[in-house]
Amino acid sequence: MSQAQAQNPADAIRDPRPPQFPPLPDRDLVFEVEQFLYREARLLDQERYEEWLGLMTEDIHYWMPGVQARFRNDTSSGPLIERMAFYDDDLLNLRRRVTRFMHATAWAEDPPTRACHIINNVEVELTDNAREYRVYSTFVNCRGRNEAEETWIAGRRTDLLRRDDAGALRLARREIHITQAVLLAKNLNVFL
Amino acid sequence: MTVQVQQEEWARPSAQALREMVDVGRGRISPRIFWDEAIYRLELERIFARCWIFVAHESQIPNPGDFLTTTIGEDGVIVSRANDGQVKVLLNACPHRGNRVCFAEAGNARRFTCNYHGWAFGRDGAFLGMPAEEIYEKTCPDFDKSELGLIQARVAGYKGLLFATFDPEAPTLDEFLGDYRWYLDVLLDNDEGGTEFLTGNIKSWIDCNWKVPAENFVGDSLHAQWTHNSGAVAMLGMGVGKAKQDSVYQANVNGHGMQFGFDMVGNAMTLGEPEVVQYIREREAIMAERLGKLRSRMVGAMGSATLFPNFSFLAGLNTVRTWNPRGPHRTELHTWVLVNKNAPDSIKEKYRKGVMRTFSPSGTLEMDDGENWEAATRTAAGVVARRQKLHYSLGLHSQVEHEELPGNVHQRKFNDSNQRAFYGRWLDLLCAETWSNLPEGR
Repeated sequence: MSQAQAQNPADAIRDPRPPQFPPLPDRDLVFEVEQFLYREARLLDQERYEEWLGLMTEDIHYWMPGVQARFRNDTSSGPLIERMAFYDDDLLNLRRRVTRFMHATAWAEDPPTRACHIINNVEVELTDNAREYRVYSTFVNCRGRNEAEETWIAGRRTDLLRRDDAGALRLARREIHITQAVLLAKNLNVFL
Repeated sequence: MTVQVQQEEWARPSAQALREMVDVGRGRISPRIFWDEAIYRLELERIFARCWIFVAHESQIPNPGDFLTTTIGEDGVIVSRANDGQVKVLLNACPHRGNRVCFAEAGNARRFTCNYHGWAFGRDGAFLGMPAEEIYEKTCPDFDKSELGLIQARVAGYKGLLFATFDPEAPTLDEFLGDYRWYLDVLLDNDEGGTEFLTGNIKSWIDCNWKVPAENFVGDSLHAQWTHNSGAVAMLGMGVGKAKQDSVYQANVNGHGMQFGFDMVGNAMTLGEPEVVQYIREREAIMAERLGKLRSRMVGAMGSATLFPNFSFLAGLNTVRTWNPRGPHRTELHTWVLVNKNAPDSIKEKYRKGVMRTFSPSGTLEMDDGENWEAATRTAAGVVARRQKLHYSLGLHSQVEHEELPGNVHQRKFNDSNQRAFYGRWLDLLCAETWSNLPEGR
């Protein structure tokens, strides 16, 4: 395809249409979800992993796909579930990871990694299931290690939160999409 | 297009200086080899631009037009399946202004067109055309389209693995691998259907010299139970299993090495997926028929391996990785999952998740490696630390004759023999100006 034949995007944006967002949920629900995410982030920053695991549903799927720099016209350019991932875990395997974090011989955690999860851009959507909410958020994660090591990761998350029988919010799905195709760090010793 | 090998003019470390830094006979190595810029430049020239370097698995580019991009040393390359089905390895640098020609890491392309001035190249690297071609024809006295293709490397394969070298003088891949093929077959040929890579490739940066992880995989079984205790507890519910010292061997050929036991499933167990262990055990008779009884016991056994210089794998755990140099103090790690093509989908899926949970940046075992490797590199900045000679003399006299195991075979699990052999080959290559100068029988 020559450049002359390529579609001119200016044609498509001559008469822009406003986006069709779903109706905003109740302010109380948005507040509750925001506080859930902030508290969850604080549990991670404080390495309170037992309590963090307690926020998961039994059927949690915690997924952070690998990222590839492919051409736009590549039909497989998006994240695919069958592709290699950073995380693709159920509750058993989240427990296994936490087991390592908490073990006295996890040498790369001692001195502790200093993590700060900054959560932002929280949006809440109702779903067909009255007890489940789709939640979008963005994050910046900073890790400080030993004296002068610093690692930044930014990304977007899509969560499914579910209200349990006691009325508390729990995390049932999390999809994490980071901006780095090459992880610019020696490891990923953090949940995002 | 191919290029003549020319030596650039710059101050290379002398062979004598290198030999003083790497004393394989005594097992003493200077940390300078992990830090010095001049040594690194010599490695790029005499190892990465000369040796056969792993570039892809056949299964990643099955159809014409399929491509991926990777690096040979710091040279970017496109690994491309041409229209006739042949695999081409093309320098990813336009002969016009040197711009990168393909920016995607994988996909399918009809041609590779440079974004800068529109020079276009075929799937086989041949020059196809450029805008304003008629002006070139009119005003360039030496204009010859046949000379304008992308620089090509030699390509050869071994049981699904594709290697390339930019050195026309290099020996054949079969000679380069030698008897190491016997050991590679444990990974690549335990099933009649051969192997494939699962889709995807996890990449990460470790701020260490590329040799530190390469030597770790070639033979450092000593670190496993110390470094990886926490990961083993997470995956197995207990620390790393203690094998009998005398039932574990190290073998090396041309600097390629593998350390292994005959416990059948020790590595595979670490995935935390009992079905994978079951899969290997059930196939014992089939594997024994293909590989012989001894090698069938190695398929999932505790161990690790590096194919010189920078391709490593863990049989049974089935992670395959390359340590790509990005300067003397940075390594770009590429990780894949290798499976038998004929394995059930459910087993492939367990391997995919199992490798992710153990040997990937988030892996419970790999996580503790990176920090050690970075610090083992970084300390070499110190004047006094550089004067220290590091201790590599474990198992100095452990070589044995074994009636079945080929290559240089050493008995006992805790052993630096493969690491000494790795650095012996490294030293030979750095000191030799041509392949014919290389000593025989490493």
